Formats: sequence, structure tokens, C-alpha cells
Amino acid sequence: MAAVEKPVGSAGSPAAIFLKVTAWFGFLFLLMPSFIVVPMSFGNQYEMVFPPDSFSTYLYEQFFFQSNWMDATFLSFRVAISSTILALVLGVPAAYSIVRGTYPGKRYVAMFLMSPILVPIIVIALGLYLYFASLGIVGTEIGLIFAHTMFTTPFVIVTSMAGLRHVDQSLETAATIMGAGVMQTFFKVTLPLLKPAMFAGALFAFLMSFDEVVIAYFIADTGRMTLPVKMFNSIQWEISPVLAAVSALLTVLSLFVCVLAASFQKKS
Amino acid sequence: MLEARQMRITILFGLPALVFMAIIFLYPILGVFNQSLHTIDGLFTWEGYVELWGSRLFSKVLLNTFEISFEATVLTLLLAYPIAYYLAKQEPRARAFLMVLILLPFWTSILVKSFAFTVVLGEHGTINSLITLLPGIDRGPKMLFNRMGVMIGLTHFFIPFMVFPILTSLLAQNPDLAKAAQLMGSGPVRIFTRITLPLSMPGVMAGSLLVFIISLGFFITPALLGGRKDLMMANLVDFYTRETLNWTLASSISVILLVLSLFLIFLLSRVPGGKSVLGEGN
Repeated sequence: MAAVEKPVGSAGSPAAIFLKVTAWFGFLFLLMPSFIVVPMSFGNQYEMVFPPDSFSTYLYEQFFFQSNWMDATFLSFRVAISSTILALVLGVPAAYSIVRGTYPGKRYVAMFLMSPILVPIIVIALGLYLYFASLGIVGTEIGLIFAHTMFTTPFVIVTSMAGLRHVDQSLETAATIMGAGVMQTFFKVTLPLLKPAMFAGALFAFLMSFDEVVIAYFIADTGRMTLPVKMFNSIQWEISPVLAAVSALLTVLSLFVCVLAASFQKKS
Repeated sequence: MLEARQMRITILFGLPALVFMAIIFLYPILGVFNQSLHTIDGLFTWEGYVELWGSRLFSKVLLNTFEISFEATVLTLLLAYPIAYYLAKQEPRARAFLMVLILLPFWTSILVKSFAFTVVLGEHGTINSLITLLPGIDRGPKMLFNRMGVMIGLTHFFIPFMVFPILTSLLAQNPDLAKAAQLMGSGPVRIFTRITLPLSMPGVMAGSLLVFIISLGFFITPALLGGRKDLMMANLVDFYTRETLNWTLASSISVILLVLSLFLIFLLSRVPGGKSVLGEGN
């Protein structure tokens, strides 16, 4: 689509200047946290101020070597990777079923699989807490993995559905004409063509799980905290200076994902 | 096309996800309904809802939740509309670059944001240090652990959710309309108020409802940036679940929150522009 035409508040008019100033105030407001945590992460352990008044890598050393922050980070990585793989295994075939399927009630299948997006996360968190408590798996890694798989699968389905609409169906038809079954067509033709969408979906699922805090806060126990839960507790109770280093690293991770996602959109 | 009969088999492709969601999503949600009607010992009771009906704490929190959600939605709209409008006016290449400035905060952990705000807004934080540099002022306003902190945190979180639908409805407009109005002698302000703004209302409506719905169930920001007076429904759920172990009350509040949200989502699916926000591309 073309940009909205120039005449509306052409450059230099008071209205245009007001618009530009407000928009850039908005951009700066949005970027402020990402901007300040990076310099702060090179500050010292005594003062949590921005701008920092000294330069050191002390906080990173604390994060990597001197504390139990790494335990939380590894737990988050393990949960995010496992749940992303599970979400792909469940979500991609489900998206195929929704886009290509011809069975009755398909609409409701799609609605049901998307419904975790619509329910307030706190309600899901409480539900899982009560359920896992009755099963005795509160605070376990497998509980976290299942919970995050449930949380991310709808998003994998959405990205896969979008990807499938761009996969040329005549290629699938050609495969079946030449005698391939539904399964063979799916694995040999559709999946390879769906790779970019699957990669994008996996990337988002990973980051969503890695950053997810409300569910993890409810179903993790104090001995096994994911990184976001540890951060939540730290902000609430002590404000550990190490938070600055963690935040800076997470900002870099988000930036990485954004750039990767943007480069993918360009390709497809 | 694959044969229709053959394609029926594809229901099997959806089966694993359906079973998984039934166990890890539907069953726990039904469990919340069930728990809201039972005591912790498993006896049937209406007591949860009855107690909430008469509870001053709950009515205060309910009022808070609506008040905060409404204020945050308005504040978000006031900032997000100019951003979306500014983006819509850019050439596609410049817009693609500026979109990164929206996407990066969108994908940034809410805990990074909350941490940054505790540093910037605190009593001896960046903003207050700057303010006290001014002559005659030795104390800045309190911006943390009160309503203001919650508002700043929520607005920050919500802006991307509002920018996307508004931008979509701005870009969908036919640029010839504005050009025609200009040729017929309309000034920029008139073109904006008579053409651009009305035509972007679907995006505004969809974005506002979306933000309001997300806000109703918000937990992190009021917990970290708000004070005791800024508790929202989600914080009360947490309080009853972990502090007092009153699962019946926690579940009753959750059910009320869920019903409210679903009702608003139903409304959202009815407003023009709401479908795309809900991602029902079908």
C-alpha cells in the first residue's frame, strides 16, 4: 500500500510538527527501557542508577559465575526448547488439518485450538496450578514444559496456517496424482515448503516461553524458578543489581529475534 | 486437489493437538469453575460468590480494575494514534525501519521493562534526579508504587497492541480520497477530521477493545509498579491462591474475570476490524 498522501499536514505545518514530535516522543518512550538497561549493566553493585557513574563488568561476572541466576537461565532454556519442539509437533499438523481439511466441524476445531489466546493468562495459571497440585507435579520441569507448550501452540498454529496459505496446493496435488498418500505428501512436499513459516513460529514460541512469567510464577516452586520468575521475585523483594545484566542480555535476545523475524518476512 | 474423501483423514492431523489442549487447557479451566463451587475439602458451596458479592475488598478491586483498564486504554490511544498516523505517512521503506522501534519493545520481556521503570521512576530515579536539578524543587513527584507507575507501565506495554490495528486501518484507506478533498479545497486538518479519522475508527475500536480486554486480567505491572491501592483482579487471585490458600475465592474471581473477558471478546468479534485482531483469517 502506498503511504497516506502528502497533503495531510505537509511538512512544516504546525500540525505536521506536532505529529512528528508526539510520534517520536512515543518511540523514545517505547525504547527507553531497552536503552537504559544496557549502560546500567556495566555499572557497579552499589548503586542502581541511570546513568551509571562507573564502568565495570562486575554484574556480568555475578550473573555468569557467582550466583544461582544461571540455574534459572538454564531451566528457562530447557523449558523453552522442549516446549517449542512439542508445540511444532502438535501445531504444524493441526494447522495443516485446519487449512486443508474437509471434515465437518473444522471451524470449531480451529476455535478450540486457538482459545488459549482468548482466556486471561491468570485464569489459565490458576487452573494449571490447581490441576498440577492435584497431580503432584507443581514445581516440576515437565509441568512447566506442558504448560508452555499449551501457551505457545496456538501461535505456532497461526504462523503455520499463514505459511500454508502460501504453499502452492498444486504441488501437493501433483504428488498425489503420482501416487503419494496423504502422509507422504505432507512429509515430503508440504513440510519442506513450510520451513520458513515453521522457523518463524518456532522463534516466536521460544521467546514467548522464555519470557513467560505468570504461569511459571504459579506452577514453579521456590527451588526451581525460571529466569522471568526469578526476575519477578527480585524486582518485588530486593532489586538485585544483577537484574541490569540480565535485562541487557534479554534485550539483546529480543533484538536478535526481531532482526531474524524481519529478515524472514523479507524473504517470504 | 486431493480427493475430498482422502482429505477427511486430515482430521487425524489435528487430533494430537486436540487431545493435548483438552488435557492441559480445557480440563484445568473447567477445574477452576468446579473449584469456585466447592470448598477446599470438596463440599459444594455458593459461598465463594456470596462472599465476593458482599466483600468491600472485592468491589474496590473490581472498580480499580475497570478504572485502571479504562484509563490505560485512553492513554494508550492518545499515544498510539499519532505513532500509527506518523508511520502511515512514511514511505514503505522508512516505515519498515520505524516498525522495528515498535516491534523491539513488543518482544521485550515485561520484566525488563518493569525493572527499567523501577530505576527511572523511583524516588531517587533518573526523572526525579533531573527534576530536582531545577531551582526551587527539592522533591519530584512520587511515580512508583502508585497509580502513576501502573499507568506508565501498562501504557508502555499496550502501545504496540494499539498501533498495529490502527496502522492497518490507516493503510487500507484509499489515498485518492484525501487527494480529492484537497483538490476541492480542504485543508489538512479538515481532511484529517472528516476523512482519515472516521475511516480509521474500526482500527481504533478494535485496538481499544483489545487493550481493555488484556488490561482486565493484567497481573505483573500492578504487582511490581503499583501500590496496595492499585490491586487488580489478577492480583487478588494471586493473593487468595498463595497468601490465604482460599482456592474457592480465587477461583470465583477467576470465573468472573473469564466471563467478563469472553463477553468483551464476543463484542470485539462484532466490531469492524475486530476479526483481524482476533486473527480469524479464515
